[in-house]
Amino acid sequence: MDNIEPTIEHFSAEEDVSTEHVTANEHAEIEEHVSDEHVVADIHEEVSHDHTLFAEPIFNIGNFTVTNSLLNSWIVVILVVIIAILVKRNVKTIPGKIQNIMEMVVDGFLDIFDSVTGSRDKSLKFFPLVFAFFVFILINNWLGLLPGIGSIGKIAVHDGHAAFIPYFRGGTADLNTTLALAIIGVVFSHIFGVMALGAWKYFNKFINIKALLEIPKKFKKDPSVIIVNPIKAFVGLIEIIGEAAKVASLSFRLFGNIFAGEVLLASMAAILAFGLPIPFMFLEVIVGLIQALIFAMLILAYLTMATSAEEH
Amino acid sequence: MDSLIDTFHIDIKLLIAQTINFAIVISVLYFFALKPLIKVMKDRTAKIEKSLEDAKKIDEKLDKTNREYKKVLADAKKEANAILEKTQEESEAKRVVMLNRAKEEIGAVISEEKVKIQQEKAKMLKEVKTELADLVIASTEKVLEKKIDSKQDREMIKKTVR
Repeated sequence: MDNIEPTIEHFSAEEDVSTEHVTANEHAEIEEHVSDEHVVADIHEEVSHDHTLFAEPIFNIGNFTVTNSLLNSWIVVILVVIIAILVKRNVKTIPGKIQNIMEMVVDGFLDIFDSVTGSRDKSLKFFPLVFAFFVFILINNWLGLLPGIGSIGKIAVHDGHAAFIPYFRGGTADLNTTLALAIIGVVFSHIFGVMALGAWKYFNKFINIKALLEIPKKFKKDPSVIIVNPIKAFVGLIEIIGEAAKVASLSFRLFGNIFAGEVLLASMAAILAFGLPIPFMFLEVIVGLIQALIFAMLILAYLTMATSAEEH
Repeated sequence: MDSLIDTFHIDIKLLIAQTINFAIVISVLYFFALKPLIKVMKDRTAKIEKSLEDAKKIDEKLDKTNREYKKVLADAKKEANAILEKTQEESEAKRVVMLNRAKEEIGAVISEEKVKIQQEKAKMLKEVKTELADLVIASTEKVLEKKIDSKQDREMIKKTVR
């Protein structure tokens, strides 16, 4: 936290500069003409168009920093709300066009889910959560590909040189978003696990006290428990690390793919802006779909694993 | 860890903001879209299943009714035939009885008539005989012109006539 504070403040100090302005603490003279659509900058210095690993702050509300990725996520939320309300309004027993498409999607997903969960009841239980992941990530991924996102922005001065800051950045091209989603997914898998198995049984999946307590009882019948059960307890401990690994792999996989896609598109556009990025654009559309699907299916797999009783 | 947070600008406030975003997405999606949609789909599935079952039931019922109808029809036919046969038999029997009775009656009438005719014939013969005797007597008297005594006479006549 402390590490970023100065940066953010630095940015916000700069953002107040609206039209032609010369910054006090920097020596660069920058003229900014910020209109809604275009940035026409008359700059004396080279403006860097680096793709940063992090989402840049755009403005502040109180001490809350709104980044360009967060703005994109908000657009996604608004889109989802509109779609949902449209669906709600049009739901009928005899389906119309929109409903038909939605039902096809829902039915298709439920069929895929059945192959993972093994039962329709479980699929229906997990469906809203997993489907929400899919929709949110998919729209975020695809919204990041729209022209104007990542290319409309302003120029700000950072560490002595001018940098281009886009107003919008793909929501999933920010680790904050993917990390939040991964944490939600893993936390929910634990909640569902506790609900399905009971707190004590679920707790023993990780810290296997039950296996240790069983040793004296079962020892007479089967002396091997004295070796097997401590191993079981140790395996449980490894699963705790596994949970952290889940969060890391989920968040970095999604972030890495989408961020890499944006960098790739920018690089191609830098080589030749006309025509060359088009095949890569299609590629990124597919990548966006696949990544959303992978994320959703992994969450579903975690949910299924968490709710099934331990069997070794 | 610090360098990780620094590199990616991980901010707890942004994490919370994105969590809220996702919470809105999931709740809106669930309550506005998925819940009614799944309900409608479930209802429709139930309805279709019910309709199919109903159709099956109706088919079965129709089949049963058809079978019953056919059975009833066959029964009625059989009964009608039986009745017809019975009636025919009865009428035949009646006819025979009537015929017999008529024959008997006719026979009786005929025999009665025969007797009557016989009697009449006898009576007539008798009458004719007496008349003939008288006629013979008269004619003989005329021929003989004399009367033998009536006793002889009578004997003679009798001989002659016989």
